[in-house]
Amino acid sequence: MAAINNPRDFLILTNNPLVPQCMEGRGLFSIRFEPQRSFREILVEARDMVYAGHILYTHPLAGSVKPNETPYKSLIVSLSPHGFDAQHGELMSNAIAVFDKFKPLERELPESVLKDFQLIDYTLLAGAIGFDAQAGLSK
Amino acid sequence: MKLELGYIQIKDIQFSKECKVANGTLYVDPDAVKAYLYEDDDVKAWVKDFSFDVAKPGESVRITPVKDVIEPRVKVEGPGGVFPGVISKVETVGSGKTHVLRGMAVVTAGKIVGFQEGIIDMSGPGAEYTPFSKLNNLVVVAEPNEGYQDHKHEYEHAVRIAGLRAATYIGELGRDVTPDETAVFETYGIKEGIEKLPNLPRVAYVHMLQSQGLLHDTYVYGVDAKRSLTTILCPTETMDGAIISGNCVSACDKNTTYHHQNNPVVANLFAAHGKTLNYVCNIITNENVYLADKQRSSDWTSKLCRLLDLDGALVSQEGFGNPDTDLIMNCKKIELQGVKTVIITDEYAGQDGKSQSLADADPLADAVVTGGNANEVIILPKMDKVIGTLDYVDVIAGGHAGSLRPDGTIEAELQVITGATNEMGFNRLSAR
Repeated sequence: MAAINNPRDFLILTNNPLVPQCMEGRGLFSIRFEPQRSFREILVEARDMVYAGHILYTHPLAGSVKPNETPYKSLIVSLSPHGFDAQHGELMSNAIAVFDKFKPLERELPESVLKDFQLIDYTLLAGAIGFDAQAGLSK
Repeated sequence: MKLELGYIQIKDIQFSKECKVANGTLYVDPDAVKAYLYEDDDVKAWVKDFSFDVAKPGESVRITPVKDVIEPRVKVEGPGGVFPGVISKVETVGSGKTHVLRGMAVVTAGKIVGFQEGIIDMSGPGAEYTPFSKLNNLVVVAEPNEGYQDHKHEYEHAVRIAGLRAATYIGELGRDVTPDETAVFETYGIKEGIEKLPNLPRVAYVHMLQSQGLLHDTYVYGVDAKRSLTTILCPTETMDGAIISGNCVSACDKNTTYHHQNNPVVANLFAAHGKTLNYVCNIITNENVYLADKQRSSDWTSKLCRLLDLDGALVSQEGFGNPDTDLIMNCKKIELQGVKTVIITDEYAGQDGKSQSLADADPLADAVVTGGNANEVIILPKMDKVIGTLDYVDVIAGGHAGSLRPDGTIEAELQVITGATNEMGFNRLSAR
């Protein structure tokens, strides 16, 4: 079992295609890419893992882009369970409550805007764990 | 540390063939400013062109999308220069004399990402929500070079530097102008402060800096705040340009560079300093995404509050969601050290205002100042002139499909307006 805060223990949950594209094979972390899942479904998956004893490594509401604006969400939980942390459980359930209070915008986003949302989500994730986001983009 | 600010009131901006400040008017040659911006290699590499415009209070003008707002200043005496570590050498600022071109700002605008946000209306109901509608604004609109889509980090950096350089160029014009008014700001060393103000409560300002990543950054003496541990600044360092904004997201509650230069928490603490309290220092701390960073930073914030033997702390945050967690962690841990806190935030309480306002909460956060509900829906009338572009209004935060109506009006949430719910309390509207 990998030690806490060791990159080997990082499991990235993401629906953002830019994350595997830039990060796959470039670190000790694992990536679970789930393009079929929505922003909210990624949160729910992470919450359930935290309830099952996985540690939460990054904040579920990273970024000032609002949860009803962007379809993309990446966050990091521990690959192995280390025991339930109530604070992390609270963070996850609060994040889902925050998501639900934003009104769906029902807008179709052009490809260029989607790419920018992917970029922001990816760079915030990369920045959180000291991964060189620009190097990843040049892959 | 003691700083004298000399305020030169700017009542008008005129384009001219020469650059000078005379009788309260800034005369500026856009070509001269442009040439100065292009002396920077990053600007040269990424910015295809700049256009310049002036927006004055009361005009039917909309500026969007706004990146940063900056007050031009120049260091006339004492160590250091403007924007240390970025424009000037990294020497410590916050003492000596600085001239301030008051009543105006440099506003940078233009597309960086496709959901670029930030509206400043110079008249109408939207103008009431932004403090920048009351300034004479020199607007610098940047247009990116081809291929910038794959280099947004570099482009954001180039536009950030361009804004700071424009403000530096304009600020320099005030070097030899006699200020209309001067004010002196001074805080003491720890022992000195206790001796001089023995009976007053010791209060510090815990200044949380946005530090999540691309388009969500703040720089202190040129250092990316996410890579810094919680530390102490003299309040006059902030007033003298030590902190600059690299934050382009969440227009209503992002702290522009202008906000950092004119932080109202700092101003109000100075107004009370020596009268009702002893303003000890500013503690700057970050709002990182990695949870262990939050733990470490908030531990250090509370530790410093205890080490400084504070009686009270004001805590302001920047942004939405993730920073709410830092805000509550800071508040709770500082309170548990026996130091009373007041937190300053804004709210995302839903369009009906009935939802929980913050993403995090704690019973110890029992003294809260709010900058308003960013989800509140507003209608902005059509303006005769747009500086920048309306291309993004439907896709910005607080906008929705059809936000930009056929008649030119905009229906959106308050989030779209630059500075509308600022979390330093730099707001136009209040319930006071």
